[in-house]
Amino acid sequence: MNNVPIKKLMKWFKDMFGKKQGIRIGLYGPPNAGKTTLANKISMDWTGEPMGTVSEIPHETREVQKKEKVVVRTGNKSITMNILDMPGIATKIDYEDFVSMGMQRKDAQMRAKQATKGVIEAIKWLEQVDTALVVMDSTKDPYTQVNITIIGNLEARGIPIIIVANKLDIEESKPEWIKEAFPQHPVVELSALTGNHVEQLYEAIAKHSR
Amino acid sequence: MEIEIEFISSKVLESKSKGRKINYILNRIKKDKILVFERSLSSFDESKLIEETMKQIDEKFSGIEISTLKESNIDGVREKLIRILGGNPGGLTVIGPSKLVKKIKKEPERISLFAEFKDSRTRKK
Repeated sequence: MNNVPIKKLMKWFKDMFGKKQGIRIGLYGPPNAGKTTLANKISMDWTGEPMGTVSEIPHETREVQKKEKVVVRTGNKSITMNILDMPGIATKIDYEDFVSMGMQRKDAQMRAKQATKGVIEAIKWLEQVDTALVVMDSTKDPYTQVNITIIGNLEARGIPIIIVANKLDIEESKPEWIKEAFPQHPVVELSALTGNHVEQLYEAIAKHSR
Repeated sequence: MEIEIEFISSKVLESKSKGRKINYILNRIKKDKILVFERSLSSFDESKLIEETMKQIDEKFSGIEISTLKESNIDGVREKLIRILGGNPGGLTVIGPSKLVKKIKKEPERISLFAEFKDSRTRKK
């Protein structure tokens, strides 16, 4: 039985009458889209501390990273956020891919095992975030099943979505592809690495989150 | 090696609970079959399938490639009725084991699947 309406109702009651300590902002997306780079940028901007380590090798974030009570000010608004940097969601994880990137076989197998658990954890969190930042690499085709599944699940739960077209600093960046693929959601074009246009993300969070 | 592609009627999945549906798909995928379903999976089914896939990944099974075409956005009386009754009025789903399916390229109205067989005997333990 589909119990989504009941969960939505319970969440509404909790939001209305519970003591909310801040909105839970989940950073979702495929591996290597720049979720942790963005989480670090937001955290550094408002707390002076980073959230996690960044790597070229996929699945660096294998557990949900949390930063609580991050107060973001934009215009005359102030928002308290609990940032949740999710492991990248994938449909396949082959330890041989890590070996080909120079990892020892045992380390690669361990990383693959941890990465599968991370994907499961990220999926379980889908129903617990208040607003989702879906981070996409704007140099790549956005029409992937992972992006579609993440957005479809969030839409079905009525969770506000802000799409981040990341890696604007790279010449091949084509954020217009993302806008064409997902016209139903606000898209913020930015570079988490350089911080370019990140203020627009704070404005979008203030406008669209709940 | 031959690659087997199964075209499966929407009735096959309709009659199964969510858990049995996911098991049915993964059991066939792990037998190196590429599946084409005559309907799109729901977003919840897709995330459940990814979750179960992750639980079953090991040295021999590295996951899946999947792509869905959702049903037409144009709603007729039939589509609306099916949706009200909790059903899914159409679409298409393609799923295959990632060791066979190299890439699935999706455009809004079309799916292209690129398969390549790699001999598993060359895989080191």
